This record gives sequence, structure tokens and C-alpha cells, in this order.
Amino acid sequence: MTVSPAGTAPAVPVAEEARLAAVRRYRILDTPPDGAFDRIASLAARFFDTPMATVAIVDTDRVWFKAAHGLDGVTEIDREPGLCASAILHGEPYVVKDAGTDARAFADPLVQGEPGIRFYAAAPITTADGQRLGTVNVLDTRPREPTDDQLEALQDLAALVMDELELRLSAMRTIAAERDRRAEAERLARALQRTLLPPALPDVPGLHAAAAYHPASADEVGGDFYDLFPLDDGRWAFFLGDVCGKGAGAAALTSLTRYTLRAAAIYDPDPCAALSNLDTVLKGEYQGSDPRYCTAAFGVLQPLPDGSHAITLAGGGHPSALAVRADGSVEPISTAGGQLVGMLPDPQFVQTTTRLRPGESLLLYTDGLTEARTVDGAMLGEDGLTRHLTATAPRTAHELLRSVETLLQQMGDGVSDDTACLALSVPAPSTPSPQENR
Amino acid sequence: MIENEYLLAVTPHQTPSGPLVLEVRGELDHHTAHLLSRAVDDAAFDDSGVVIDLTGLTYCDSTGITVLISAYQKSQATGAPLSLAGVNPDQMRVFSVVGLDQVFTFHPSTEAAVASLRK
Repeated sequence: MTVSPAGTAPAVPVAEEARLAAVRRYRILDTPPDGAFDRIASLAARFFDTPMATVAIVDTDRVWFKAAHGLDGVTEIDREPGLCASAILHGEPYVVKDAGTDARAFADPLVQGEPGIRFYAAAPITTADGQRLGTVNVLDTRPREPTDDQLEALQDLAALVMDELELRLSAMRTIAAERDRRAEAERLARALQRTLLPPALPDVPGLHAAAAYHPASADEVGGDFYDLFPLDDGRWAFFLGDVCGKGAGAAALTSLTRYTLRAAAIYDPDPCAALSNLDTVLKGEYQGSDPRYCTAAFGVLQPLPDGSHAITLAGGGHPSALAVRADGSVEPISTAGGQLVGMLPDPQFVQTTTRLRPGESLLLYTDGLTEARTVDGAMLGEDGLTRHLTATAPRTAHELLRSVETLLQQMGDGVSDDTACLALSVPAPSTPSPQENR
Repeated sequence: MIENEYLLAVTPHQTPSGPLVLEVRGELDHHTAHLLSRAVDDAAFDDSGVVIDLTGLTYCDSTGITVLISAYQKSQATGAPLSLAGVNPDQMRVFSVVGLDQVFTFHPSTEAAVASLRK
């Protein structure tokens, strides 16, 4: 809407502006035909035994028909004074018994031209705050004398149109509010998810570390997590895991899991003890009707004088970590037998040890990777991942992550769940030395 | 039969004088898991036992596993024997990784599971 300089155009009266605002509020103009309003128009025609009836909304410069019974192909007419345009000026039924002798209706296009209206009766469609949006009309090409009963029925039908419009408006608002709430919930879940992943991994002396999170869907937040942090005795702890479920509930569980594991490591950095601690906390938090679990690997790194790192790794229902050895072979660091955390009465956690020597690396991942389907439809599995890593022979944590990234890209839509990866590597000696025997 | 967008169907069968069989067909994930969850809640866990038939299971995510563990917990609480039947090799691999191979009793088919429970 534009504002004209004073005096150059007739101003829209304030009352009409308020009425038009109400018309806009119900968002009914130019909507497609609709069974509910068609039925109201045909009911009106039946009550009056007239060939024509309409449900009309009066816009700025036109009268638009939401329903038109017996008026073939007419969807709107100009807003000339006479019938509908005049009817909305009245709070009660507006009746033209014979347009041929009624000066008020003479100029109306439906009277002047086709179909040559003579009889017209209208009841205003009035909002709760008194705005008249339009009318329910009955029309005939011959003069008529309506009864009081008929005019009362016409008012009832107009009230029914108003009820229907209110219902629709409230449904539209509910849907919009619901959409906003969902968008907000998803936004919060994503924001929460981001806070669960360390923005950058700390610098660990003598070690390279890299991590990545590959969400399978932008809409659904999964619950993979990882972390790497110092213990107070010169050792380092790391974990990676996956909580069950999706969405905000999973994000909340991820948060609890991550902080519980960090706290547990301060209290007792023994890897199995950390998982047991988490098990107790999850059972306490999620007992009853909404049980939840996670799978996790928790490890402790001990730097050794020769530059290698001793690793103690515990698993609770988590896939094997994979070590890429200096000779290029890929070795599973298995914690098989370890059970998922948080739901079983007396879960077992399994601990193992290994050593990362210079030039060697370790990959921890969540099952979104190994449960993904390759292009031939088979599950990738630990075997498939091992073959891929053997073929690509990554030498550092970054190369390891890049190799996994390539694999995920190759599988494309076969990846149906989020995947988190944490890679650790001990740098090879900077000067290339002749092949050594261990 | 209970269905959700035709993705999962859970059909209870009461075998004559034997265990209750819950036949699960389709995808068991966080969209559909409540269907199995309800069937487990409604199922009578008694001495004749319960078999969850997973022969027709095409996909199972972590939420699906949660429901299976809930069924295990219910069997522990009631003393009713529970077994899983017809688990395919891929799904079995997933169960092994999370350590559930040590928790559930498995049978290759519903017939085998029912026969074992009737003994």
C-alpha cells in the first residue's frame, strides 16, 4: 500500500481501513473453491428457492465470490454501490425486493447486465469485533418478498461462514506456531549438539589428533560425541560414543554422557571404571518408561620416553578401534564382549591395551560408518572399513580422517546414520630412515 | 495388526498351549519403535514365554534395540522366557557389537524357538 501526498487522492476512511485489515487477516481472498462454503451457498439458495446464491467478500475495489451457486464463471465483480458493496454497510439483512424499482440497486453490474438481477437479499458476515467482511447473498431474476424466517436463516448462514473463517484462521495460526516451535526446537537441538563437540581438539605433545562429525540428515540431530582432554598426571583421556535415539532427547542424553565421562575420568581414570560410572548415572537418570543407552569407547594415553604412546581402551558395546601400523597393516583393537551402557542389569565392559609407535595411527568411529551400505547394498562392516584403510594406507590422523571422508562420500545415500570419527597418530620421525626391523 | 505408514507391522500370534509370538516385519526405528513397544507392553509375559520373530525385520536402529532390551527387562522381571527368532547375519553383527549376543537367547526360526520353549 502506498501513501499518497495529501490532497492528490481520496483518502481511504479510517473505518474502511480497519475493515480491509480484517479481510486481510482471514487470508480468504483468492483462495480456491471450497466445499464448506459451496454448501453454505447452495443451502441459502434452497432456503429462498432462488436460482443463485453467493458467499461474497468485499475487497478494496472488488466483490470476490468465495462460493457462487448458479452464477456460472463469475468469480468477482466491481465494487459498485448497489448490492454486496452496499449490503456490508448494514448490520442487518439488506433486501432489494425489486431492483427495477429500487434506486439503491440500479447501478449494480449484476442488475444492469447479465444475469439481470431483480431480487437480492444479503446478510453480513461480521467478525466478533464488528467488522463486516462480506455477505451471504441470494439472488433471483424476478422480484420476490422474503419471509422473516428466511432472512433469519440467511443471518445464521452468514454466522456459519464467520465460524468457518475463525476456525480456519485459528488452524492457520496453530500450524504456523507449531512450525515455529519445531524450527526452534530443531535449532536448539543443533545448537546443543554443537556445544557437545569440542570446537578444537587440544594440542597433545608428541601426538596428532583430528576429529570429524558427519551428520546423515540436516533435520534430525543424532547423538554422537567425542572428546580428548588432559588428566592431571601427564596422561590424556579420550572417548567417543553414540547415544540411542534422535532429536532433542538424544542431544540432552549426549550432554549428560559427555560431562559424566569427563567427571568420571577425574574421579577414577580407569577406563572400565569410567564406563561403569556412566552406566550408573544413565540408569539413575533414565529409569522407567523412557530407557536410554549409549555405546562408548574410553581410552587413556600414556606418553612413553621413546615417543610412542601406550593406550588402554575400554569398550561398552562399541565397535573395535582400528590401528594403522607402521607397515601399513590395519589391526582391530577389539573390546568385543563389552556391552552397551545404561540399560543392562549388570553390564560387562572390556578393556584392552595397545601401543601407538611413531608412524602409527588409531581410528575410533561410531557405527554410522560400519552400518552404512556400500553401493552394492551390503553393510560395510569392520571388514569393509579395514579393506578400505589398508588400500588407502593413511599415515597420519588427518590422512585417516580424509580416507574415511572419501569412503563416506562413495557410499552416499547408503550412510543412514550420523558418524563421528576421532583419529590419533604418532608422527613418524621427520628424517626418513631406512626400513627398520622391530 | 498395528501399522505405521506401512513401515512396520507387529502381529501377535498366540500359539496353542505355547508361547506368544510377536511377528515383527519392516523397519524398526525411532519412527516406528513405539509400535513394538506397545505390543510388548500389551503382551502377557508368563511361563509359556514370548518369541519375538525378527525374520521380516529389514532395519533396526538404536531406538529399536531399546525396545528389545525393554522386552528383555520385562522377561527378567516376570520370569517369562524370551527368545529372538530369525535374526539375519547383519543384524546379528550389530547385536554382537553392542554385546547383546550375550543377553538374548537366539533361534534360527520361530518354529525352533517355539519348540525350544515347549520343552
